[in-house]
Amino acid sequence: MPMVDTPKPIMPSGTLPMLILRVLHSGSLHGYAIAQRIHVLSTEVLAVEEGLLYPTLQKILLKGWVTAEWGISETNRKVRFYRLTPEGRKQLKTELAGYDRVTQAIQAILRTA
Amino acid sequence: MTELLRRLRYLLNRRRFDEELQSDMEFHREMAAREGRPNFGQDFGNTLRLREQAREAWGWTWIDRLSQDLRYAARMLVRSPGFTLTAVLVLAIGIGVNVSAFSLFNMVALKPLPVRDPDSLVRLERRSPEIVAGEMPYASVIFYRDHAKTLSAVMAVMGVPPMEIESDAQPAHASFATANYFAELGTTPTLGRLFDPTRDDDAGAPPVVVLSHEFWLRRFGGDPSVVGTTIHLNSKQATVIGVTPYAFATLGGQNPDIWMPIAQQPYFVEGSKALTDTSAGVVRMWGRLAPGVTAQMAEHELLALTDELRRQHPKDVWDGEYIKSDPGGHLQVMQPEMYQVAAMVALLTLLILAVACANLGGLLLARGVTREHEIGIRVAVGASQMRIFRQLFTESLLLAILGSVSGLALGYTALRVALQQMNAPKWLSAVPDWRVLLFVIGMTCIAAVFFGFAPALQIARQRQRKTLARQLLVAAQVAASCVLLIVAALLVRATHHALYSDPGFGYEQVLSIDPGLGRHGYTPAAARNYLNELQSRLRGLPGVTSVSLVKLPPMGHTISKIGAEVAGRPLDIYPNWVDAEFFRTMGIPILLGRNFLPGETNVVIVSQSLARAQWRGENPVGKPYWGHDIVIGVVGNARINSLNEDDTVEEYEPAQLADMPDMVVTIKIAGAPDGLIPAAKGIVQSLDPKVFPEIRLLKSAFRHEMQSVELAALAISGIGIVAVLLAAVGIIGLVAFTVSQRIKEVAIRLALGARQAQVLTAVLGQFRWPVVCGLMAGVGFAAATSRVLRKFLFGVSNLDPASYTTAIVVLAAMLALAAFLPARRALRVDMAKALHHD
Repeated sequence: MPMVDTPKPIMPSGTLPMLILRVLHSGSLHGYAIAQRIHVLSTEVLAVEEGLLYPTLQKILLKGWVTAEWGISETNRKVRFYRLTPEGRKQLKTELAGYDRVTQAIQAILRTA
Repeated sequence: MTELLRRLRYLLNRRRFDEELQSDMEFHREMAAREGRPNFGQDFGNTLRLREQAREAWGWTWIDRLSQDLRYAARMLVRSPGFTLTAVLVLAIGIGVNVSAFSLFNMVALKPLPVRDPDSLVRLERRSPEIVAGEMPYASVIFYRDHAKTLSAVMAVMGVPPMEIESDAQPAHASFATANYFAELGTTPTLGRLFDPTRDDDAGAPPVVVLSHEFWLRRFGGDPSVVGTTIHLNSKQATVIGVTPYAFATLGGQNPDIWMPIAQQPYFVEGSKALTDTSAGVVRMWGRLAPGVTAQMAEHELLALTDELRRQHPKDVWDGEYIKSDPGGHLQVMQPEMYQVAAMVALLTLLILAVACANLGGLLLARGVTREHEIGIRVAVGASQMRIFRQLFTESLLLAILGSVSGLALGYTALRVALQQMNAPKWLSAVPDWRVLLFVIGMTCIAAVFFGFAPALQIARQRQRKTLARQLLVAAQVAASCVLLIVAALLVRATHHALYSDPGFGYEQVLSIDPGLGRHGYTPAAARNYLNELQSRLRGLPGVTSVSLVKLPPMGHTISKIGAEVAGRPLDIYPNWVDAEFFRTMGIPILLGRNFLPGETNVVIVSQSLARAQWRGENPVGKPYWGHDIVIGVVGNARINSLNEDDTVEEYEPAQLADMPDMVVTIKIAGAPDGLIPAAKGIVQSLDPKVFPEIRLLKSAFRHEMQSVELAALAISGIGIVAVLLAAVGIIGLVAFTVSQRIKEVAIRLALGARQAQVLTAVLGQFRWPVVCGLMAGVGFAAATSRVLRKFLFGVSNLDPASYTTAIVVLAAMLALAAFLPARRALRVDMAKALHHD
């Protein structure tokens, strides 16, 4: 059995909910597809571990930003698909705006300092 | 749907959501395996743990942990039924006593009366900086009723002496009430109708009465045809119009047999001027605050009205008079001194809980030692101190809950019995309401923390063998039991003192006759003539040795008290107005000076205690008193109007002509006074048939007064004994445990030839200091706080050495016995066996 390493913080902390909401923006996905999409879209820089993805999904389910519904996977398995709710859309917009401001600010410091 | 609701949905459908989560993660894994992505594969880890982490987002994992702990705790408790039973019993007593006391307080002061809008009811009383009066002139009540805009209704009740119904030997208790009384309270009759403000608020209306439900059953056998019949009250004819409901709630808890409309009072009490008199207080006043009005606003308006009343009747309104309002929608209008009593009772019952908790704490610590093995294993497999503490505390919580449930049942039973015994109003029920349940929940938590927290902490840190915790628990138990025992001893002494000490006057052979001439509109001169005639006729009866007049008879309905300052100390002076014969009738000795002479004014006779307080050993005879009076004599102390207080003082003034309508006749008889009642009654009736006197045997009045005291002392003694027994059980347990821990040491010492006494000292030595400290703390605490008890001590000092000694000796004997019994068993130990054991 492989040793369980504590996962290295690959992802800027606190951004995972935003990334999940963003990849769900274009349509509902199941959990594995969310992780994969983030991995692929980030040109394989960011990896989402199972141990982080599912707790985060539970949290945003509780917040009401996404809902889960049953669907059939590409392997013909009954699986839950997560879909963005109107509230989630609103949340994504505010988080993106906030994130933009922060990154611009950080960039500004990095450029001038 | 808010987040909270969603969270709840997760809680309720936990199993389904968990399965869904599991399926999600399984799928994730399948996909990762299929695609062979190395970085996913590495992160698999423990699936159960991953799922648990995800589930934590729902915020309900503590419930899982709690139910796990509870299940474990329940198994542990079931496995040692002896311990569980003892613990629950001890707790049930500790909590049950508190629940009973709180339920009683709840009934009296917190539960709203089951009447219409109880929150807006206020009791209104007349006050001035010097005077407290419960009763008001009816004329003033009418004035306030007609002018106050802050009150939506004003009710008045007039209590009168028992009235003769038909020619029954047993008189009926009667009250007059304003015609709006029942309507304002929203009372619905059992039979017929109650007072109607449009019909019964008129002196000229046909006289009517309403019967109480209890009286209707008792006197009329519950006959429904009683409505519409006529009855005779003090020979006045009236029609029964209805019967109050079974569970009828009245203002101030009064409970007469018969209700009459106050407007018809002049008809029932012929010649009475009570309704028009603007000076004498005759009715109790109640009001209903208008919507949106606070009590302060009402008091403010009433103050202005009082000033207006003073302009109209300058003589009848006191200086600085105002109307005080108190919330009236409860069984009892609470006064500050009642809260004091409640606080004292609360303190005593909490002490019992403290004894119970300390007791249980000791048992738990002892159990901790026997569970060392189990806890050692749990620590070895990786349980944290926190986890073990939580587990142990959950066990305590479960015990506390079991104890509380039993305590609640115990309290309910006790209260039910008490309500039946006390002949309480029927609307009161012993069934716990939300306040009591809340209280029980609070008690459960407090008890669990008190008895469970420290032992759980000690055991979790594996320090259960330390003697300090055990010593502290013993000290706490001893201190609390000591306080309870001292209080019980004081109260028992007080009852004994009250029952068997001399109140300063003779009551065994005295009869009082209150003709109530003032109530029948007698002028002072007519009253004097009546009383002269009555006295001379009574003197002619066989066996009568002396007849006298007194305004405020012993154990009477009215008490007058002057809060004075004598030589810089506050002192309650009880004034009375008497004739010269009074001292002889009551057997009060004249110690110095002389008695009153006929027709004398501006003289005063003082009690020995007043003389001592005011003149400090000098002879007061001939000295001026309060400016205008001269002291002519000193008499023995007689607590005529203050049976409960020993350090009060009395002054007597000669009754004047103006006092005559209020005078009461007292008669001393050579033999038993009982037989004289019919003869006395006959004489009074023949003098004026409209006068219905109240004739009382002072000895029965005295006994009646003492009954409540005896009951209280009995209850407190019971509580004290329970506490001591609890403490004894606890100490027996602790000593037995200590001895069993040191059995090997005892065996070795004995084997080496130690004498039994030496071994005993060695084993019990650790309890010596805790017991001494506990005793000292208890005595100190009792001495410091028992001053509040003074009112109930009937003159026994709150530092009474006999009570303290008794309490300490009893407690010490109990403790010695409790320690000795288990210790002695240890001395009989089979040495070989003890030494061979493991």
